Amino acid sequence: MATATEVLRPVTTREDKWRPSTKGWVARRAVLLLILGGIVFLTASVEGFWADRIARAAIFAVIGLSLNMVLGYIGQVSLGHQAFVGIAAFIAAYYATEKAGCEFEGCSMSTFITSTVFAALSGAIAAGVLGLVALRIRGLYLALITLAYGLVSQNSIFEISFLTRGGAGMPAVRPDGWVGDHAFAFLTLIFLAGVIFVDWSMMRSKVGRAILSVKHSEPVAASYGINVTGYKIIAFVLSGLFAGVAGSLLAFRNQNVVANDFSFVETLTWVLMVVVGGLGNRVGVIIGSAFFAMFGFILEPVLHWLGGLWGPLHFLEEAGAQAYVVIIVGAALAIFTIIEYPGGIGQQVSPITRWLGGQRFSMHPDGHGKHQTQASEASKTGVMGRLGLQRSGSTDEVTEASDETAPTSVMERATVMEQATASPPPPPAPAVHPDDEPVAHASGSADDPPGKPDPVPEVGGTDEGPASRKRGFLGKLGLQKNGAAQQEEKTR
Amino acid sequence: MRTGVVVGVIAGIVGLILILGWGDVEGPNGSIVIGLFQGAAYGLLAVGLVLVYKGTRVFNFAAGEFGTLAAFIAFLFIHQWKVVPYGLGILFALIAITLLGLFMERVIVRPLMHAPRVTLLVATIAFGLLLVGVELFAFRPEPKNLHPLIQGIDQATGQPVGPELAGYFVSPQEMVIVGVVLALAASLGWFFSKTDLGLAILATSQDAFATRVVGIGVARTSQLIWGMAAFLGALAGLLYVPAGGALAPGVITTQTLIPAFTAAVIGGMTSLPGAFVGGIVVGLLQQLALWASGHYYLGDQPWQQLIPGSADVAVFAALLVVLLARPQGLLGTEA
Repeated sequence: MATATEVLRPVTTREDKWRPSTKGWVARRAVLLLILGGIVFLTASVEGFWADRIARAAIFAVIGLSLNMVLGYIGQVSLGHQAFVGIAAFIAAYYATEKAGCEFEGCSMSTFITSTVFAALSGAIAAGVLGLVALRIRGLYLALITLAYGLVSQNSIFEISFLTRGGAGMPAVRPDGWVGDHAFAFLTLIFLAGVIFVDWSMMRSKVGRAILSVKHSEPVAASYGINVTGYKIIAFVLSGLFAGVAGSLLAFRNQNVVANDFSFVETLTWVLMVVVGGLGNRVGVIIGSAFFAMFGFILEPVLHWLGGLWGPLHFLEEAGAQAYVVIIVGAALAIFTIIEYPGGIGQQVSPITRWLGGQRFSMHPDGHGKHQTQASEASKTGVMGRLGLQRSGSTDEVTEASDETAPTSVMERATVMEQATASPPPPPAPAVHPDDEPVAHASGSADDPPGKPDPVPEVGGTDEGPASRKRGFLGKLGLQKNGAAQQEEKTR
Repeated sequence: MRTGVVVGVIAGIVGLILILGWGDVEGPNGSIVIGLFQGAAYGLLAVGLVLVYKGTRVFNFAAGEFGTLAAFIAFLFIHQWKVVPYGLGILFALIAITLLGLFMERVIVRPLMHAPRVTLLVATIAFGLLLVGVELFAFRPEPKNLHPLIQGIDQATGQPVGPELAGYFVSPQEMVIVGVVLALAASLGWFFSKTDLGLAILATSQDAFATRVVGIGVARTSQLIWGMAAFLGALAGLLYVPAGGALAPGVITTQTLIPAFTAAVIGGMTSLPGAFVGGIVVGLLQQLALWASGHYYLGDQPWQQLIPGSADVAVFAALLVVLLARPQGLLGTEA
């Protein structure tokens, strides 16, 4: 499909890249410090119960980053995260109360650390097992399995009486010196900072690039020598590790762990907050998670006012009303995000984050038309562009988890190529995150990579039902596939 | 070969019943009967899931909430406002939910028609959660009670109506469920295999672009699918809730959705009779697991004490085993 002459874009190197001046750096660092200082000041100055809510928001952010690892980086849906978080919470509380005897003597810092480590390990192991399952089962079916796993843990594991003390809940006493709401809020913020650091340093390393390339296309990644299996499992294990940390923090924040804290509504809300935050976008996910954790509380006075206004609205003043409003608004927001702004909050704040990261402030970083700002396309070129490959085809994608989107048969590939030649390929879009600047781009007519091999032997195994389901009905309708397509089907 | 599978499953069930001893009072006879009828209810919801998967390759996680909301609407008309007789209330609920399904298709599914299926899956989850929120908001979390179509207990004598099977009184509602699910599986199977419209839907699910080329309105088939799916979900909820117990927000999603999905997967995700067979298998598995966990002891405690929720564990294990060992299910076909 390649045309006779291909115009290659100049290769951008590190030296060509625009860098802010010293003053620019000072301004950027100052703003960053101001934001961080503002959070610390806010936490220190608000009343105790608000500090407790900030702690909840920080824990939600950790959960969000954990889910983002699976949902945003690997592109698989996990609907069972309440299981990882919940089991970790119960293990942390069990260790602190039953093994270390915190209930009556108070908890030392080392006990807190130990129970958090145990919780993180339990989450990592559980998620690692799920990762092994995810090697064979992907996409929709994996989502189903994780949902079933979450419900099983809710109805089975969280009902085991020695963990829940017969349903009354397992107490978890906060460590000495961090008992107050303000102090504990700072503790959770410290943990959040640690998790952000781990996430950031991993994603800017070779591991992160490999994981992102696996999300884009497993066969291509494998053909570049990337250990698909290994990196997938690494991502799952890290996700479970974060979920475990969040579970431990949640246990000590609530001071009493009961099964009801980890209901299926909760876990679906977590998924939605990551979607609203922006898949694969660290800053967006943190903002989205904190927003979902907080806005019920912010809404409280408004609902109170509305309830007092008119008789039939009286029920808005009840205790549970704000929780229902959170579910409704959150779900509606998620639907809106998926349909209209697949990039989520992260996309909306990206000019700011990019500026803070040392680039020009610009609403449209490359100025190639409005589609440039769509995160979908941004995520499209990122890693594959780095590998010198560009994918063509459908453009409105948030995640590329399902095999079904990849053109599989010759016939489908042909239609994709037609589309590619009919409209010029999208110019290289901004990379997934700032320091992932594309090094080289193959441009011109965007080939469906000729080097794209046929599925690499059993990387993922079967997932979406029988592989050869692409035949039959079109024939009945009188639309015969061409010879090549039939040939290919015979070879399957 | 497919007949062989079905015969094998039926023979397995019969053999199981014989091995466990039909005459034994301590045996799981009652559990088997309960499981069969419970399984029919799962099959009913599974038929709707299979329909959507066949038509659009999407897992519809909002299906459970179609059912719950339908039951709530019927409850509103029949018991709370007391404005209409029972049958009319059911009819209103079915119409309302079908319209809701069409609305969902227009607002969520169609804009995402070309998006990856997993994105659409998350969107259906969001929609289901939205409905849970609306139910919580409008009806509070306290459980309600929706009466069955035919009262299961004779008002005059206080005796249960309906035949007794192995010590279990089969309620009329359960017999209605079995009848409806059998009729649905048969008629939908006929619809997809014999009618042009059914064929058009299958072609759309396979390749929307090529289907449009030969002159089939893709948007219209999608509308049809989601309207039917919402109708079936509502039917499942309206029949299941009175038979299954209390009506609380999200009840179908928490109690029935996973078993129904497992039933659909066991049936092959694309087979309508398979969904029914899968439902029976899942219902039996659940009840047998419950029976076993109460009857077998580890030390001096029954299993139940150590591992609660054995029914859910059984369903999860079945789902995992089927997906790992035989992803095409019992009766899975091309579409």
